[in-house]
Amino acid sequence: MWLVVKKEIRELLRDRKTLFFMIALPLLLFPLIFGAVTYFTSKAFQDAENEVLKYALIGAQFSPELTDKLARQEGFELVSLTPDVSIKAQIDSGRLDFVLEIAEGYSADVLNHGSNQLKLYLNDAGLNLVFKRVNSLVSEFSQSYQQSSFAQLGLSELQQQALLKPIQLEKVDVSDKRENWGEKIGGIIPYVLFLLCLQGAMFPATDLGAGEKERGTLETLLLSPVPRYQLVLGKFLTIGLAGTISALLTVFSMAAWGIGLAQGMAISFLSEFLGQIGVIDFVLMFLMLIPVVAIFAALLLSLSIYARSFKEAQSYMGPLVMLVVVPVVLSTLPGVSLEGGWAWVPLTNVALAMKELIKGTMDYFALVAIFLSTMVIAGALLAFCVHWFSKEKVLFR
Amino acid sequence: MIEIKQLAKRFSVENPKKLSEQEKKDPRLKGRFFHSVENVSFACQPGQVLALLGPNGAGKTTTLRVLSSALKPDAGTIEINGLNVVNTPIEARRKIGFLSGATGLYGRLTGRENIEYFGRLQGLSKSRCRQRIEELSDLLELDSFLDRRSEHYSSGMKQKTMIARTVVHEPEVIILDEPTTGLDIMATETVLSFIRSLKAQGKPVIFSTHHLDEVNEICDRVTVIDQGATQFEGELTEFRACGDGSLHQAFLSCLVSREIG
Repeated sequence: MWLVVKKEIRELLRDRKTLFFMIALPLLLFPLIFGAVTYFTSKAFQDAENEVLKYALIGAQFSPELTDKLARQEGFELVSLTPDVSIKAQIDSGRLDFVLEIAEGYSADVLNHGSNQLKLYLNDAGLNLVFKRVNSLVSEFSQSYQQSSFAQLGLSELQQQALLKPIQLEKVDVSDKRENWGEKIGGIIPYVLFLLCLQGAMFPATDLGAGEKERGTLETLLLSPVPRYQLVLGKFLTIGLAGTISALLTVFSMAAWGIGLAQGMAISFLSEFLGQIGVIDFVLMFLMLIPVVAIFAALLLSLSIYARSFKEAQSYMGPLVMLVVVPVVLSTLPGVSLEGGWAWVPLTNVALAMKELIKGTMDYFALVAIFLSTMVIAGALLAFCVHWFSKEKVLFR
Repeated sequence: MIEIKQLAKRFSVENPKKLSEQEKKDPRLKGRFFHSVENVSFACQPGQVLALLGPNGAGKTTTLRVLSSALKPDAGTIEINGLNVVNTPIEARRKIGFLSGATGLYGRLTGRENIEYFGRLQGLSKSRCRQRIEELSDLLELDSFLDRRSEHYSSGMKQKTMIARTVVHEPEVIILDEPTTGLDIMATETVLSFIRSLKAQGKPVIFSTHHLDEVNEICDRVTVIDQGATQFEGELTEFRACGDGSLHQAFLSCLVSREIG
């Protein structure tokens, strides 16, 4: 068996595609993708912030000061409305970014005239900061009217605060930071880990099963005096190892790049958050990953050995991603926790256990039960794979 | 010695409706089963080269796969030097060297690593493996390319390496399934020389081919399989006599599939 493992690893490490998927992709490409997404998102926000907004006013005569403020404001350009063309059409065509309609009877004296009505027409689909920018400008007037009204009424600072917020509801969170953040991001970590393990194991699995058929080496291998189960175990271990290494490299690289890119606040948050998760919990998370990787390796190898070619194997493996995504997504849904039936749903229970480990609220007895049940499933799938590998109609299709 | 008696092997047909009209007409298709081999018997003595002949689909590859223990027969017996292949396949595999025209090498491994891997799987120690590779390298002139990755080999280099891989564990019997198919003249000559050397060593060799000139050149016995059954078994001279001195005519006279059309 170890002869097979040694040979398979040697061969995989000499393959550029495998090296790319197992090492280069996790180390460079994923962080680059995240970096690119961050860069382009922040650039889009910056552009939206600096964009000169073309606007038109309806009822400008009702509030000369607001009209004047907008006219003097940097980043705003007054455009006249085209008669007989709807506002929607003018905004959709890009001629205007927004239209502000000031209702008749607008007055700074809100105590006597009541609240003022403004209507903002805009196309709010896609990324734009029109509402935010107009609102911040209008808020200045709103606050000024508020202050003059309070002065007219002769209210003290305390009364003003009381009027603005008659009831103050203070939130006192008794959860510690670890539990809080664990609840928020704990579901994503198993999701990412599972998919990376699967993706990292996919290429080696294709190569070790269907690849043997395509190269014409399978028959020679089957004629060696090595029991079939040993051949399967050798291939199974190689695939599992590849998946685990790929996932660990990705996580390591994402963490390293994340800390490097985020700087300052993010570093203190990350180190604080990660510091609270004990080494034992990290080790337990890794241990929980072992039966999951074993399940993936057994499934992938079974599919791969059934396929006649690389292409056929890849077409079988595609739907497997969905089979993994669904139970893991279930674990992130609100109300789904490691209780009752959920504790026995394969993969979902492991994802939930990982989340609990991150939060620091794991019941370790339950963890043992989940680990053992997942190991049983992995063992059954491996047994199936060995059986599959001995079937003539699978090997000689 | 290799001895096969009344060998039978059938395969289940997953979807008989998908078969072509010609396949449906094949008398070996019975219900949901295709009886690839129904009654094949032959024997090959030490130092003999037996040619296994037959048209495409006759059952030659199935026979050789069963003989090499890759497939389990449904009926019949196979013995290699008295060892029952069906009951003790692992032991039998140590005695067999199998080479097919369709087999390949691990391209990302060197020729040396390819041979060593299979030698080690056959149970050879590391040092014995190295010793055998040196011996085979001298014999087959592998030295100039043995440490290069096999994905860069020419067809001749590949064939030589595969031959070395086949005999690295010094098998008692050799089975060759169309080993010269698709090879150029030089590579074919390498295979034929290899068979001659095995014959000289007193090993029984079973050799399936479509090339009657190769049969004429190196074989002692001939077995013709058609429609999954042995149609002829005997000495090369007897076979030639069936066609009035022409191997081509002899071969055609043995085929039952011609009558079926």
